[in-house]
Amino acid sequence: MNETSEVEILLVEDNQDDLDMTLRALRKAKLANRIEIARDGAEAVEFIFCQGAHAGRNPESGPRLILLDLKLPKIDGMEVLKRIKEDPRTKIIPVVVLTSSKEQKDVIDSYMLGVNSYIVKPVNFDSFLAAVQELGMYWLLLNQAPHS
Amino acid sequence: MGAEEQLRASLKEITDLKAALDEHAIVAITDPQGKITYVNDKFCAISKYSRGELLGQDHRIINSGHHPKEFIRDLWTTIGRGKVWKGEIKNKAKDGSFYWVDTTIVPFLNADGKPRQYIAIRADITERKRAEEGRARLAAIVNSSDDAIIGKTLEGIITSWNPGAEKMFGYSAAEAIGQPMLMLFPRERVKEEEEILARIARGETVEHFETVRVTKSGKLVNVSATISPIRDENGRITGASKIARDITERKQAENEIRRLNIELEGRVIARTAELAAANKELEAFSYSISHDLRAPLRAINGFAGIVLEDFGPQLPGEARGYLERIRNGGRRMGELIDDLLAFSRLGRQAVNRQAVDPAKIVREVLDELKPQQDGRQIEVRIGELPACQGDPALLKQVWVNLISNAIKYTRGREPAVVEIGSAGKNGGGICYFVRDNGAGFDMQYANKLFGVFQRLHRADEFEGTGVGLAIVQRIVHRHGGRVWAEAETGRGATFYFTLEGGNEP
Repeated sequence: MNETSEVEILLVEDNQDDLDMTLRALRKAKLANRIEIARDGAEAVEFIFCQGAHAGRNPESGPRLILLDLKLPKIDGMEVLKRIKEDPRTKIIPVVVLTSSKEQKDVIDSYMLGVNSYIVKPVNFDSFLAAVQELGMYWLLLNQAPHS
Repeated sequence: MGAEEQLRASLKEITDLKAALDEHAIVAITDPQGKITYVNDKFCAISKYSRGELLGQDHRIINSGHHPKEFIRDLWTTIGRGKVWKGEIKNKAKDGSFYWVDTTIVPFLNADGKPRQYIAIRADITERKRAEEGRARLAAIVNSSDDAIIGKTLEGIITSWNPGAEKMFGYSAAEAIGQPMLMLFPRERVKEEEEILARIARGETVEHFETVRVTKSGKLVNVSATISPIRDENGRITGASKIARDITERKQAENEIRRLNIELEGRVIARTAELAAANKELEAFSYSISHDLRAPLRAINGFAGIVLEDFGPQLPGEARGYLERIRNGGRRMGELIDDLLAFSRLGRQAVNRQAVDPAKIVREVLDELKPQQDGRQIEVRIGELPACQGDPALLKQVWVNLISNAIKYTRGREPAVVEIGSAGKNGGGICYFVRDNGAGFDMQYANKLFGVFQRLHRADEFEGTGVGLAIVQRIVHRHGGRVWAEAETGRGATFYFTLEGGNEP
């Protein structure tokens, strides 16, 4: 991955199946040009805050959207979300929680931490494709973000 | 001095003596038969009769009836024999009141030694007698009391000891009187006596002092004691009275209650902890179902879809059919998991009770369920739906499930009729119902109706997971109500429910 080019989407997902299906959906919607993938919470944090393996990355170069699973190895999604929304440098990045959990507690906690959208991954494949495509479209194309 | 002069002098002497006697005593004279021949003013005053009412009357006019026959007989026998009788007599005055007199009856004899008349000289002792009676009454109370009533000096020496004390401490009055109170104190409590005596000396009363004393046989008794100073007529404190009650049984009962309370509290804490743990486990379990079981389902569904999408044209039709079945199976399992989770969440969710308008809810629900009708014509009749108390969100779920069932099971009916109403108040609760003229069911399976995943129809007849009615039942039960159904195969079903302990009509 070219560290200098602008990253559109950071996809944080530990499940290979979900990862493949999400990527397929994004690809179909032609939103898969510049995607960074993190397979656990720690990788996500390193990328977002330009630490560790990503120490040399320019924080200005995105991502423009973070798709975040909640149940993640090492650092869980809720903690990643908290760090993003607490830091003035990253808090304006839209974060969409994309999870299997329908638990009210997770929904409420996420919104309390400042999540921009909370989407339950549908079991139905067609619905899943549609959801991923719509959210990508909305946050990357339709939604007006402040320019830095 | 002449004889007449002498006689006059001695008569005067007698008259003076009599006047002196009248001044001091109550005097009456009777003849040998007991007829009154003389009364002095004092007699009239105490008996409240006038002299005229008394003279010539039998002396029994002032009898009180208090004394036994033998007593009266003894009196008459004594004086009949010419002897002096002395005693205390209770008499009755004209107004019915009683008075006591200390009496001396002196018979005056004639020449042949027979009583000529009797003179009775009396002193009023009513006050003394009253005080004595009062004392006797008090003594009777003290003697009959179960409480120990003990008198002691300011030095702590026992001066009186009632039968109650005897029973409580085992010492007889003879054994106890003259002994120090300290003999009743357990060794570790001897300091109490010092404090008690000091407070008594200051004129204080020690009230309901709960302590322990020791009996003659060495047994310990729990007592509640009240100790008060005793004063003489000048107000000087001369001793103390102690009233002690045996509270051993009460103490044992108290200890038992305390022990049971502690035990109960312990059990409640343990049970609460168990419940909390079980609840937590359940939550973790449903979280895990919600999160972990969905992921593989998504993969099954998703990759079956991808194979169909990417390689569909190359596959034989049969293979495509099987892939469709895989996807349908996955989709159905997703629905089952979702319904099961919704059902389990209901058990944990608090019921938020408030005034609810079922008519409004039913209209909303019918509106929302329009798409389910697939354009079918359904005649919906809404009857009276009185307001009730309940959780609006939960009750809406009840109406959604019952009405969507009615819509589902009337599929193919022409015309389809769904009737929603209430069967009026009975037994304090309103009974609501949803009736349809749909598929119905055989009443012999009615008991399975509300079980989780229980279905009375095949999925290819009527789709569903078999959770809807279980949810209805759980919500109704959480409102303290009942739900039941009446149906006939092919002729429709009616579902009734009450809230808050209503009864079946």
